[in-house]
Formats: sequence, C-alpha cells, structure tokens
Amino acid sequence: MRGKKTARRLSLLIALAMVLSVFTGCGGNSNSGGGGNTGSGGGAEETITIGVLTPTSGTEAFYGKDMLQSYELAVDEINAAGGVLGRKLSLYPADDGCDANMASLAAEKIISMDCDFVVGGYCSGATIPALQLFYDADLLMLISAANSTQITALGLEQSFMLNSPGTHALLTLIDLCKSLDVKKAALIHQGDAYTKDLSDLCEAGLPEAGIEIATVQVMDKGAPDVSAIVTAIRNSGADFVYWCGYHADGSNVIKQLRQGGYTGYIAVGDGSASPELITACGEAGEGVYVTSPPFVEFAVGGEKFVADYNAKFNMNPGNYATLAYDSIYVLKAAIEQADSIETEAVRDAVQNISYQGLSGLIKFTQDRELEVSNFIILQIADGTFDLVIID
Amino acid sequence: MLALGGVCVFSFSEVVLQQLINGLILGSFYALVALGYSMVYGIIKLLNFAHGDIYMIGAFACLSVFGVISKEIPGLAGIGLSIAAAMVLAGIIGYLVQRVAYRPMLEAPRLSLLITAIGVSLVIYNTVMLMTNGQPLFFFSGIDNSAGFSFGNIRITYVQIFMLALSATTMLALSFFISRTMMGKAMRAIALDQDACRLMGINVNKIIGSTFIIGSMLAAIAGGMACVYYGNVQYNMGYTIGIKAFTSAVIGGIGSMPGAMLGGLLLGLLEAIGTQVMTSMGMSGSAWKDVFAFGILIVMLILRPNGLMGKTDVERM
Repeated sequence: MRGKKTARRLSLLIALAMVLSVFTGCGGNSNSGGGGNTGSGGGAEETITIGVLTPTSGTEAFYGKDMLQSYELAVDEINAAGGVLGRKLSLYPADDGCDANMASLAAEKIISMDCDFVVGGYCSGATIPALQLFYDADLLMLISAANSTQITALGLEQSFMLNSPGTHALLTLIDLCKSLDVKKAALIHQGDAYTKDLSDLCEAGLPEAGIEIATVQVMDKGAPDVSAIVTAIRNSGADFVYWCGYHADGSNVIKQLRQGGYTGYIAVGDGSASPELITACGEAGEGVYVTSPPFVEFAVGGEKFVADYNAKFNMNPGNYATLAYDSIYVLKAAIEQADSIETEAVRDAVQNISYQGLSGLIKFTQDRELEVSNFIILQIADGTFDLVIID
Repeated sequence: MLALGGVCVFSFSEVVLQQLINGLILGSFYALVALGYSMVYGIIKLLNFAHGDIYMIGAFACLSVFGVISKEIPGLAGIGLSIAAAMVLAGIIGYLVQRVAYRPMLEAPRLSLLITAIGVSLVIYNTVMLMTNGQPLFFFSGIDNSAGFSFGNIRITYVQIFMLALSATTMLALSFFISRTMMGKAMRAIALDQDACRLMGINVNKIIGSTFIIGSMLAAIAGGMACVYYGNVQYNMGYTIGIKAFTSAVIGGIGSMPGAMLGGLLLGLLEAIGTQVMTSMGMSGSAWKDVFAFGILIVMLILRPNGLMGKTDVERM
C-alpha cells in the first residue's frame, strides 16, 4: 500500500514538472490546428482559442487522439471558410490521461492559457474534476463523449453533453433485452465513475422493465483473472451479461466467459464499442452485442467525413469522431447566433440550439443533456460490426 | 452445457469445485511471482518492489518473441520457446537491476534499499508505458483457449491444465535446486550469515546475482503464462499481481520457498471462494472478495505472525 501512495505522489510530482515545462517552453509549439495560429502566448487577439481536454496518453489515448483529430478537421474546415465572426479558431490541447489528477492539472493549464471555450471530455472520471475548475473560471465546455449522469448531477450551467447520457443507453439496452427475451441479467463494472454509473443505472432500470438482475460483479482494473466471476455468474442463472467497462478489459471478460462455459448472451456498453474489441476477442467475440454511440459508418453524410478524415490523417475515424466534429460546429453555430464570444451569451445560444449533426439531432434539455438518444445496437458477426434494427 | 439463453443448473459441489479450479490457477500465478519476492528477501532482506514489473517485462518479451517466430514455429513449441526467451531476457534485466541499483546499496540502511526498489519499479513501469503509449497489446496464440474437459457443469481447459503443469514443474525444479545443488546450498548459507560465507570462500555477490536471475525467470514464466491465458499485455499489469504476490509471500512466511508457494495458492483460492461466498449472499462478490480474503489473512497473521511456514531465527531458504 505504501508503494501505491508513493507511486501516486511521485507521478503527481512528475505531472507537475511536465506542466511547468509547458509553461516555460510553450510559445509557438502548442499549435495543433492547421490555421497556424497558436492562440497561446500573447498577441493573438483575433483568434478564438478552444481548449481541448482529452486523454492523449494512457489506455484511452486512442479515443483521445481520435477526438483531437476530429476537432482539428472541423477547425481547419471552418478556418478555410473564413472562420467564425471573421475570427479564426485555434485549439489548445491538454492531456487528461483519463485520470482525475491529471485532468485537474490539464484544466488548470487550459484556464491559465486564457482559452475562450473548452471541448473534449472522454472519461467521465477525468471530466468531472475539470468541469468544476472550468465553472469557477467561467468557461463554457461542450462535452463531446463523456456521458455519466454524474455530470448532469453537478448542475453546472456551463457544460453541455453532446453524447447521450447513460440513461439513454439503458433505454436501448432494454429494447435489446426484450427482443432477446432476456429473463435474468448479470452486470459487470470496474468500480470507476463511468462504468459504475452505467451499472447502477441498469441495476435500477432493468427490473422496472421486467428483467431480473441476477448479480452485479466488479472486475478490478489491472487484475485480468475473472474466472471466479464467470463461475458466480453461471451459478446465478443469468442468461444475459452486460459489460459496462472499456474494451481492453472487456475482451478479457468476453473470452473468459466463453472459456468458462457461459453460453448465454453477452452485450457490452459504449466504452467497449471499438473495432479493437473484435480483434482482441477473436472467435469468442462472435455474436456479442454493443450498445454503441453513433458509428460514422451508419451516419447520414458519413462518407464525406470519413473521406476527409482519411485524407488528412491517413486513418479511419473512431467512435467519438462524429461527436467531436459536431461539437466544434455546434460551438460555431452558437457563437454566430450570439454574435459574441461572451460565455453567457454563447451558453444561452447553445441551450436553444437545434443542430442536425453527423451524430444525430443535437438539441438540449433544460438539464443540458441530449434530448433524443443517439445510441445504436451493433452485433459482431464474421469479424465486423452489423447494425441491429429493433422495431 | 446450457442452451443459448437458457438457465443453468449448478449443483453446490460443482460450484465449489469450479471455484477451487479457478482459485488454483490464479494462485499459481501468485505463487510463481511470490517465489521471487521471497527468495530475494530471504537472501538480502530486500522487498524487491520492482519484481511485479519484471513479470510485466516477461509478458511483453513473450509476446514480442512469439510475434516474430509464430510464423515459423506456431502452437505450443513456439509458445514454449517464447517463454524461454522471455526468461532469458527477464533474467538479464533482473541481474542488471541488481548489479546497478541494489549491489552498491547492500551496506546501506534497509530503508534506502527499499526506496531504491520503488525507484526501479517506477523507472521500468514508466519506460514501458512510454514505449507502448499506454496501449494494451493483444496476444494471439492460435490455440483454442476454450477447448477442454467438461464434467457436468465443471470446466477445465487444456490451456489451464498446461499452466498448472508448467507452474508445478517449475516449483518442483526450484525446490530441487534449492535443496540439492551446491548453488542452492550456497543461497541457504548466505541467508544465514553472509560474512561467514565470505570467510568460507563463497562468492557472495555471484550468488546474490544468481538469486535475482532465478527469481526474475520465475516471474517471466508467470508473465508468459498470463500472455497466453489472458491474451492482453499492458504496462500496468505488474502492479496488482506484485502486491498480491508480496502478500502471498508474507502469508507463507517471507523467505520460505514452500511458504511462498502455499501462500500464493491460498490467496488465489480465498479470492475465488470469497467471490462465490459473497455472491451467494446476494452481494457483489467480486467487489467484496478482497475484504473476504484479506480479512481471513489478517486473522491468520495474528495467529501466526511469521506466516504459515516462516520461523524466527532459522534458515530462510
């Protein structure tokens, strides 16, 4: 235990040193948009600087980078078309590492760089501490991917969630369970903000839809052996297992469920909705359902986005790319509507916006959540995701 | 086997037996890693906190080597060869760590040595994190991990049997090495009295180096097994198992080889049984398994403060 504490302290120190080095060595090298303006440093009065809070290191780096690239694509498009209110946009990325401590440091960095707005937010556990800091600094944040209802519960008026919250995932999950005639469901989460939140929602919501909860299990992060959990689940008589966590551990859970002789249905939450899940699971993944965020392949107008993204970054966009891309355009629309970059005016404009994006209709409730669910159901078949339509 | 979507009927004895199998496999991982902790502690009284990271390096080495050779040598032979290569690499790194970080500190207070070990752990952990970008790597053995025997509802896969056999053979070989060879004898002697050993002409530094090599090799076997069994390898995989293996070593009586093996198996079994017991009581079993396992362990340590096989003031190897 002492080792863990020391490790945490030390990593905090290292992170601090890294932040300091950014302050001292910053200048022009933090440019990430194609516009050529850095927005940091001084003198860039004309640019609108958008802080980007995503994990670009750690286990979730893949998504963080994907989101960052989508922001860059949108910003470049907007700048090429003349910017917003005649001003160019620029991005200021900060790495939250999907970690609460790192996220606080990243938020401080964004605040001290005098950014005008913030986008990003992938891991809810990292987004929540940052949100409070942004609120105190009077910064508006459009949260592109993180969707914990705990974010709503914070009640911070300057943050909007562009992704459907877990409550929407539950509605989609219930549809799926009913179509499969599920009697008893088992839930597995990892004890952190996002996965436990999703699990708690299902634990409360599924019984209301007539589906019994057989058992709820927790897989410790970094402890890959879940055979005991598998046996406990089989013994509980569950005919449906819902994995609430991320794909790296999820592949492990799926494989061990099948190895351990579980033959019922398996579904995974949006944290596991990644093509990597398919490769990592191999054979064991066949037939697994995913309650997924809007995949770009299934979006209206998705081909152009995929082609542009591919041309720029030489790779395919990931799951949260459309949400990230839409975030910038929502911000643009709101700024134009408000005709100002004052936080309060833009906030009010976002509250009343109705924008048809790649990820679906973006329109907010009074709780600043998405009004209409954007979740879809996918199933792994022959090594690819198939869209499942439930009437 | 139950039908898709059907409800399964497990008998009580089947559940217990299945959980014992689960626990035994988890425990054999703990035991292999615990042996390295215990050997090093026995000989120089150092809690080598970098040991879990050596396990992680073993897993990465196994994955990398198999990635290169699997085209020519697929299947079990390739896996065996990869684990052997991982052992060599882990052995070299274990020796280097000892030579560079620990040997100059042997005369220093034990607490300084402990901090050095934590430092080494952080260096390895963060280096691998930077090298892999923090991403998990996936291992495809080409072997069907689900194939195995079924007795009623009880399942044991061929891979599990292979791993149990591998860890049992390793532990037997180690016991033989410690009790029957000259070098084993030298290790036991150093554990008793280093200065006397030096006077008797034993090359103490060489023996300490060998201890690190052997301990690291054992960790690499466990790492290689994890690679094959779980299929994903990540920079942080050594942390939890490091803590659990350390616990196992203490339960068994740190410094004692049979104790480390017993402690590892016991902890694995307690975790599996704990998961089942708490789940059967209607709680989230896996969330409470550590409370269950460590609760029992605390009681055990109160009753036997030196661990199950540990004795005060007798030889430690």
